[in-house]
Formats: sequence, structure tokens, C-alpha cells
Amino acid sequence: MTVLKIFSSLHLFFALCLALAAVFLYQTIFNTGPSVYGSVWFAALGALLAANIAACSARRLRTASAASLLIHSGIVLVILGSFASRALRFEGELPLRVGSESGRVYSGNAIYQLPFSIKLEDFRLEYYGEPAGKITVRDQDGGSGFPVREGTVIPLPARKAEIKVLKLARDFGLAGKNEVIDKSPYWHNPAAQVEVTLDGKKKILWLFANLPAMHRGELPFSVSYGLENAHIKNFTSAVLVRPSGGAAFSAEISVNKPLKTGGYSVYQSSYDPAEAGYSLLTVARDRGLWVVYAGFAALLAGTFLWLKR
Amino acid sequence: MAEAISFFLNAAFALALAALAASAAAYLLKRKAPQKAVPFLLAACWLALSAGLGLLWSQLGRPPLSNQYESLLTMLWFLFPLSFYFYRRFPVPEALWPAAFTSPVIFGVAGLLDRTARPLMPALRSDWLILHVLAAMAAYAAFVLAAVAAAAALAKKRAPEDEDLLLRLTKAGFAFLTLGIVSGSVWANTAWGAWWSWDPKETWSLLTWLAYAAALHLRKKGWRGGKFAILLIACFALVLFTYFGVNFLLSGMHSYG
Repeated sequence: MTVLKIFSSLHLFFALCLALAAVFLYQTIFNTGPSVYGSVWFAALGALLAANIAACSARRLRTASAASLLIHSGIVLVILGSFASRALRFEGELPLRVGSESGRVYSGNAIYQLPFSIKLEDFRLEYYGEPAGKITVRDQDGGSGFPVREGTVIPLPARKAEIKVLKLARDFGLAGKNEVIDKSPYWHNPAAQVEVTLDGKKKILWLFANLPAMHRGELPFSVSYGLENAHIKNFTSAVLVRPSGGAAFSAEISVNKPLKTGGYSVYQSSYDPAEAGYSLLTVARDRGLWVVYAGFAALLAGTFLWLKR
Repeated sequence: MAEAISFFLNAAFALALAALAASAAAYLLKRKAPQKAVPFLLAACWLALSAGLGLLWSQLGRPPLSNQYESLLTMLWFLFPLSFYFYRRFPVPEALWPAAFTSPVIFGVAGLLDRTARPLMPALRSDWLILHVLAAMAAYAAFVLAAVAAAAALAKKRAPEDEDLLLRLTKAGFAFLTLGIVSGSVWANTAWGAWWSWDPKETWSLLTWLAYAAALHLRKKGWRGGKFAILLIACFALVLFTYFGVNFLLSGMHSYG
């Protein structure tokens, strides 16, 4: 009874709130090293909060409203669920290149074998619209931008110069003897080859959007190449899933649209702008999640019942 | 389209300023006549804001919820229905003063923010965005009204209506904040497979939630009147940090807006 009394004190709740505030403030200001949220003592703080809230509700079981009981049991469930989730959660990374197949995921230093394998058949990036190239000429008097295509000529009478765009590349790469190619159809390494005419002399330069300072100092004014509207809408992996002992099936995984299979969820995490056919998938299974979601449901139901009162 | 949006938003700003002027005149001159205009001015302001936001929605091809400017206008939109709801419950002029005071300030702050509308990044392209942001903005609207009403209650003689108004606004805000945090968590799990990552916005919204929970419990313990009003103002400082401070000072999953 005394234990219940100590744990069911509102003063303990206020003290725990202050302690959590101190931890959050500390982590926000000194955001270096391993996060305190993974430490044992932070887990102990969470457990104490759950015990405090559970004890408060237990003590007022007879007098408390259904709304209050739902809210408080919901919070306790969410905290317990976070422990369950921490103990029973699995997450690993599955890096794939187009054409490759693997069922091995990397979690920290360990490698796990999934009960299925995934073959990356295609990886696609989608843009909101076709990005457009733009050359910006700048000196101490100011700067101006010019939309460019291959063949565009930019006269610069005030600077007694002219810039002619010879070639544009979306994803600049070299094949063999200085032959420029697009490594992918995506705008990962946009570049423009220009011919600058200055005082009758011609100079051919490659301008890279990712390296704006590359030719700084070579000309009496700075010339840079950049993109407008290069906004990525979505990225998608088209995969073939082969469950061990089951029939293979095709699926698409994109951001916000994970694939659920064999008790696992496969998320589209990332891609590599330097390598167009690379896709990073995250495979996760959280057996504690249902406790958290049950807590959320109780918490929300309780909150809205409480609001109606 | 852009001109029509500017027209409606500027008209809403002007009407909000007019409502503030009418409230101030009613208070300072102790006359009832200007006060009668306040509900109509605020209603007209809300209609103009609704038209502006509706046109912005149609121009963007998505709900205006994805940067600080858009979310602030959405938050402002919630201020009016909340105020009118409580005005119906407590039909005293004071119930509308927080809205009349707050809305021109928020219009002013929104005017300082970057309005550049960028297309949604892949992680934000989800229906969860709507529920998550609407819930958070409704919560912030209730909390800003509660804080202003609390400051007003501290400044003048207390009335029992104030006490009930403050409690109800806080409860509404707390319920919406709960929905905002839970929907964000479920969304994060759908998008990344992690329902909680201690992202700065998550951490600080949890702290804000805990602070309001503590305030509501302290009120039960007898912290009423001026004490509760001070608590609400202190809690609102956390709302401000979670909404603006986290975006401007810290980086994380909510860095875009």
C-alpha cells in the first residue's frame, strides 16, 4: 500500500516531467556522442513514469472516469510498447544494384538472412517537371541568369564577351577517350560545355552544377551552371520478391509506400546520386508495435471522450 | 491567381486589424458600439482568409500545409472557428478579444516568412500530412488563444467565465496536440519504419504535451486563476519553441518547414 502511495503521487509525476525536460534540454544543447535516449537510466526514467501513471490510475480506479482511465492506460501502453519495440524490433539495411538479388540485410556489424530475397529489377527517380539548365554570369557589378539549351549563344556586350553552349549533360561521365556520356537519365551531375569568346580568344570549359567554383579566377567574371526546378517527386524500386518455398512476385517500393511481406516491412530509404542503379532499402519488423498502437488508440479514444465532458 | 490570393489575404489582414481597432476602442472608450462590430469583422476576416487559402490550395494543387508560411496561415484559419465556438458558449465581448489581438499579429509574422512554394519532397507526399499538420495547427491555435486569454485574465479583474474558457481552450489544444503527435508517429512508421526517432520536433512536441499535461494536473491540485494563467503562458513559450525554434535553430526531419 505504501509503495502504491509513493508511486501514485502527483508530485512524482511533476518531478519526472522536470527530469524529462532537463534531459531533452541537455540532449538538444549538447547534441554530440551517443544519444541519452538509448541509455539505461533514460529507460529507467520511462519505466518510472509508466509505474507512476499506472499507480495513479490504480488508486483512483473506482472514482476515475472512463476517459481518464483510457488516457492513462494508453500512455502506459505506449511506454511499455516502446520497451517491447526496443526488445523485439529488427531493422537492417538491404543495399541493391539493378540486376542484383539478395536476402541478406546488414544490421550494425551483423548480417541476417531474410526468409525471402529481393531482386532489384529497376530503380526510377521521378521529377516534378523537366529541370531546366541556367547559366549565371556574375562580376562585381552584379549578375544575371540565362536559360540555356545546347546551341544557345549568350552575348555579353558590356563585358566584350560571348558564351556559346556546346553540350549539356544530365549526369556527366566519361567513357574511353574523353568521350562525354550521361551515366544515367537523372540530373545527378549536371554539366555544360561552353565556348567563351573574350577579346577574340576562344576558350572551351566544362561547367559543373555540383562544383560551382571550379573555374574561379580563370575569367574576369564568374560563370556558373545550375538547374532550376530539379525537384524530386518520388523514387521507386521495382523489385521481384522470392519467398523461400513460395512463388515469386513483382512489387514496387517507394517512399511512403513500403512493401509488407513475410512479417517484414521493406522501406525505400535512399539512393545514391553517384550511382544511378543503386537503391537502399530498409527492412524492419517490429513485434512490439501493436502494443504502441493499442496505446495510441486508447489514448486518442480517452482524449476525445474527455474533451466531450 | 497569385493576385487574387494576395487580395484576399491582404483583405483578411485589414479586417483583422479593424477587429483589433474595434476591440481596443470598445475597451479604451468603454463603449459598446464598436464591440458589436467585432464578431462581424472577425467573421469577414475568416471568410477572406478561407478564400485566400482555398485559392492557394488550388494554385499549389495540394493543401497549403508544407512550409512555415502555409502552416501559419492554416493555424490562423483555426483561430476563428475556435473563438466563435467559445463565443457561443460565453457570449461576452472578452471571448473574442484573444482572436482580435492574435490574428493581426500572426498575419504580420506570416508576412515576414518565405512564401516560396516548393514542390513536396518525397517523404511529405502522403495523406497523413493533412491529418498531422491540421491537428498540430488546430492545437497551436487553441494554445495561442489560451495564452492570450490568460494574459488578458491576469491583466484585468478575474471572471469565472475566464477560468472555464482557459480550461476549455487548453483541453481542446491538448486533444489536438495528442492527435498531431500520434498521427505523426504512425506516419513516420509508414514512411520510415520507425514510430519514434527523437527528432527535435518530436522531442519538443512531447515536452510541450507533458507541460500541458502537468499544467492540467496542477490545476486539479488547486493552481487556478492567476497561477493557471501563468502556467499557460509558460507552456505557450514551449509551443513557440517547438513551432519556430526547432525549425530555425535545430535540424531534423522537420527542417523543411
